[in-house]
Amino acid sequence: MITTPDLIDRLVTSAKPVRRLRPPLVRACLWLFLAFAVMVLLAISHGFRSDIVQRLQQPVFVISIAASLATGILAAIASFIVSLPDRSRVWLLLPVPSLLVWVSTISYGCLTDWVSIQPGGIRLGEAARCFATLVLTSVPLSLAMLFMLRYAALLRPTLVATIGSLAVAAFTSAALSLYHDLNATMMVLMWNLGVAVLIVTLGAATGKKTFSWVAPQ
Amino acid sequence: MASNNRKRGPALTVVTDGAKPQEAAEPAAYELDWSICMARAQGGDRDAYRRLLDGIAPYVRALAARRMINRSDVEDAVQDVLLTIHAVRHTYDTARPFGPWLVTIANRRMVDCLRRQGRAMAREVEFDPDDETFSPPQTNMVEEASDGHALRNAIEQLPPGQREAIRMMKLEELSLKEAAAKSGMSIAALKVATHRALKTLRKHIAKRNEL
Repeated sequence: MITTPDLIDRLVTSAKPVRRLRPPLVRACLWLFLAFAVMVLLAISHGFRSDIVQRLQQPVFVISIAASLATGILAAIASFIVSLPDRSRVWLLLPVPSLLVWVSTISYGCLTDWVSIQPGGIRLGEAARCFATLVLTSVPLSLAMLFMLRYAALLRPTLVATIGSLAVAAFTSAALSLYHDLNATMMVLMWNLGVAVLIVTLGAATGKKTFSWVAPQ
Repeated sequence: MASNNRKRGPALTVVTDGAKPQEAAEPAAYELDWSICMARAQGGDRDAYRRLLDGIAPYVRALAARRMINRSDVEDAVQDVLLTIHAVRHTYDTARPFGPWLVTIANRRMVDCLRRQGRAMAREVEFDPDDETFSPPQTNMVEEASDGHALRNAIEQLPPGQREAIRMMKLEELSLKEAAAKSGMSIAALKVATHRALKTLRKHIAKRNEL
């Protein structure tokens, strides 16, 4: 086994100048810029849902979209802050209020206006397009976050992966609601909360391993 | 800046190699120096980086010594912390205090070390070479495994001089000088007697294996 003085010698010998990380807010803004760019590109390529004008007049829908976007923004900021060693874990609570509003509006919609799936309501083509939006939004955003927070592998990988996944899930959910005709309540639940829970669970379960895969050696 | 209100760690105890732990100043006294050293190290100043690592190693060792009993575990933890600091040194913001940054990394890595040890202890059994080698009983019956009984019989059949030489040189593992003093034989005579005894024993054992 190498002795500590020898290890220090090796570390000093291999020490190269490093670029100090930019403040977490700036880095979170860079990621958010990417997130909005993905959303805009999807809007251009896919277009908004057919009933977007009517939907935007419904307060529950508007609050739900706003809350999911706010959750995405706040969770992204929290993940960049918490990924630093000397920052308090209390920052993890940052997206909680907007998350509660988001989940509440979806639950409220379910309770007050349950829309059953009509015969022929599940169409294979639409489901495939929903899945494509899900992949096109979540994969690039997850990869970008994984790369930008790779140093967290040695510090708080699971926490950072979980809160980062929440940010990705919130943006994915907003994209699904804006671009696809999800009228049936079951579809809303599945493509919003279901996808969010799936992404966050995957992030929490695999975050440590995935981060260590790209971690600095 | 929240640094002034931050909870400080307990009083620093420096644990030096092979020396009795001694009291040292609060880490705050070094913090500014360490912060400056890290800022320079981020810019590629190797002397500052060495000063920093040499300075923080005893502090991290003291933190580890509070959590771990085994000295080698303490050293493992110190090295793990130093490697982590090396890997994430770009995350240190020079506008913030160095102490919380260091202590969080050290605590995080020590918790990971303790978890790794806990997992290893839960699924591994410490190997004791004096106890048992492999599970089949034949491998643990020393008499049969080394054929010691046959070897002892063969030694008994040796001429007295050779028997005495093999007993002192191979069984009691005396040096030539000690064996010569004990038996009154010369060193050359002992060497010859041992050599002949081994030759005779080889013949005996080879003959026995042929049967």
